[in-house]
Amino acid sequence: MSMRDQSRSAAAEEGSQIDLTPMLDVVFIMLIFFIVTSSFVKEPGVELFKPQASTQESCERGTIIFAVDANGDIFYNKNKLPLDRALRTAEAAKKEAPQANIVVQVDRETPAYVVEDLIDVVRPILTAPPCISTDEEA
Amino acid sequence: MRKIAKQQDQDGAEIDLTPMLDVVFIMLIFFIVVASFIKEAGVEVNRPDNNQPDNPEDSTSILVEVASDNQIWMENRRVDIRAVRANIQRLLAEDPEAPVTIKVEKGAEAGIVVDVADAARESGVGAVNWASDR
Repeated sequence: MSMRDQSRSAAAEEGSQIDLTPMLDVVFIMLIFFIVTSSFVKEPGVELFKPQASTQESCERGTIIFAVDANGDIFYNKNKLPLDRALRTAEAAKKEAPQANIVVQVDRETPAYVVEDLIDVVRPILTAPPCISTDEEA
Repeated sequence: MRKIAKQQDQDGAEIDLTPMLDVVFIMLIFFIVVASFIKEAGVEVNRPDNNQPDNPEDSTSILVEVASDNQIWMENRRVDIRAVRANIQRLLAEDPEAPVTIKVEKGAEAGIVVDVADAARESGVGAVNWASDR
């Protein structure tokens, strides 16, 4: 025991070893933070000519993003999906991230009734009013 | 002294943390990059359930109708999109608590609905509801 103490104090005197443990702690905590917070947003991946709005505000936790293009086709995660599958898709996404809210991206020429139908279909999982994505007014 | 140092090596008390630190840093950078800070901006529009008895689309709300030919109607008059805000403000002066209800006919475009919702929010309405015609 006394021998080990002696060797340790000798190493400290040398000063060649930096104690990395506190830094490692910080790095691990940052790592865990980013793993937990990264919500892996699935983008619909369609080019849209969004309507402009001067009163837009950020959609709080709007990470379940649907898009309805000018033809009235619904997209989620770069895939076109029929209306009757929208609820199941949204339910699965909501299960993954229970805090998430729904965002609908629309084109200016999107038929409004498709947006209505989509919102009605996903109504069971709505916890906040759906957010209709817009562009800033130029 | 030398002998003691050698013995410490044999103990294996010193683990080289550098490769693990490299891996952890790469993971950290990966997650920072992947953590998509996507911020969608838009307008929130309520969609009241038609089947619920406590429907906010009652007579006290300011009604804006969007016809299937994208024309906007308020109080049985055709209204230009630029005049919607002024009209809502006028009606809001009579009843400052009134919500705005947008009735959309099939065939209307979503852009017009968003424009109307935007105009309503501009005039300071508390809640914008998207009612169904059906």
